[in-house]
Amino acid sequence: MGIFSSKKNKTHTIIIGCGRLGANLANTLSEEDENVLIMDKDKDAFRKLPLSYGGLTLTGDGTDFDALQEAQIACADVVIVVTNNDNTNVMIAQIAHEVYHVKRVIARLYDPERECIYQEFGIDTICPAVLSDKEIDALLTKIPATVKKFEFTEETK
Amino acid sequence: MKKRVLLVGGKDNARSLALSLIKQGYHITAVNDTYGDCMKLAEIDNLVVINGDGTNPFVLDDAHAMNCDAAIALTSKDEDNLVICELCKKQFHVKKTISLVSDPKKTDFFYQMGVDSVVCAITAVTSIMEQQAFMEKMENILPQGEGQVQIAEVPIPGTAPVVGKKLWEVNLPREVIIGCILRGGKTMIPHGNTQILTDDVLVLLSGNNQESDAIRELTGR
Repeated sequence: MGIFSSKKNKTHTIIIGCGRLGANLANTLSEEDENVLIMDKDKDAFRKLPLSYGGLTLTGDGTDFDALQEAQIACADVVIVVTNNDNTNVMIAQIAHEVYHVKRVIARLYDPERECIYQEFGIDTICPAVLSDKEIDALLTKIPATVKKFEFTEETK
Repeated sequence: MKKRVLLVGGKDNARSLALSLIKQGYHITAVNDTYGDCMKLAEIDNLVVINGDGTNPFVLDDAHAMNCDAAIALTSKDEDNLVICELCKKQFHVKKTISLVSDPKKTDFFYQMGVDSVVCAITAVTSIMEQQAFMEKMENILPQGEGQVQIAEVPIPGTAPVVGKKLWEVNLPREVIIGCILRGGKTMIPHGNTQILTDDVLVLLSGNNQESDAIRELTGR
């Protein structure tokens, strides 16, 4: 019973762009036993995937309607757009959301300035610069324990 | 006040568009990300040229996109054109956005995303070529309403199979009507019993690209 129910609930994820992030993400999701398809216009990009990767690969341009249909985008639960071009990501995310009505669309944006386009459409965005900024900030607030001590000792002198 | 138009991207098409719009009295700003293209564009009198990536909001800000009446995206990449038009519309509230699109399948999608006017060069060129290639006898085809309706002028040569026939005897496709007959400098609105004569010019209204079938039926080629 457990096997059947778990099979039914598998989500179908499409990842567009097989760079470092795309390849890693595809591998993580396939290890979690989800249906994953990763797409890239350059077939050599799939070399970044580890040998153990158990999902599907598709060579094709993610901005092309025919290629997206071949990836069965209409049946996808999640589409993650992580190509190395912001504008390409914007367009693919909008095609997925507005034309194929995919419920969850996540896109990477290097430049947070363009976020305003997404907000109206209900597309989630990830911005590496903002994330790194937060992470570095968190690291800095952790360290000050020593810095503060130092300041404290100086002040008490 | 002069109307302001923003041209983003494009090289030769931006150049010729800028020249003709300036001639018509518009105030034009061109944005291009290639320095060489900018130098070429800057040779045009009265054209403001900005070197930068037009998909970047602050470059559009420098180009005073917020004061423009229309923005035209002419880059060769569809995704760039879409982003340019969306930024102009949403962030700078430009009234009219026009985009060039290279993939004909994306035309409808661009309209759906709120671009006001989408021009597909490939579709336009193909349809003109088609007309030129196998319809020498035709003088004019005017596509109307996104190319859904065509108005065509068809001269009837003496060898045409329909000469001497009445209109109701001609087997035209369903979505084609003969709206008007030009005969010896006179215009007449035909009815079913009107006879077609040599050297008539028929004005056809047709939908669904059926004008080529109708022309074959009328002129026999």
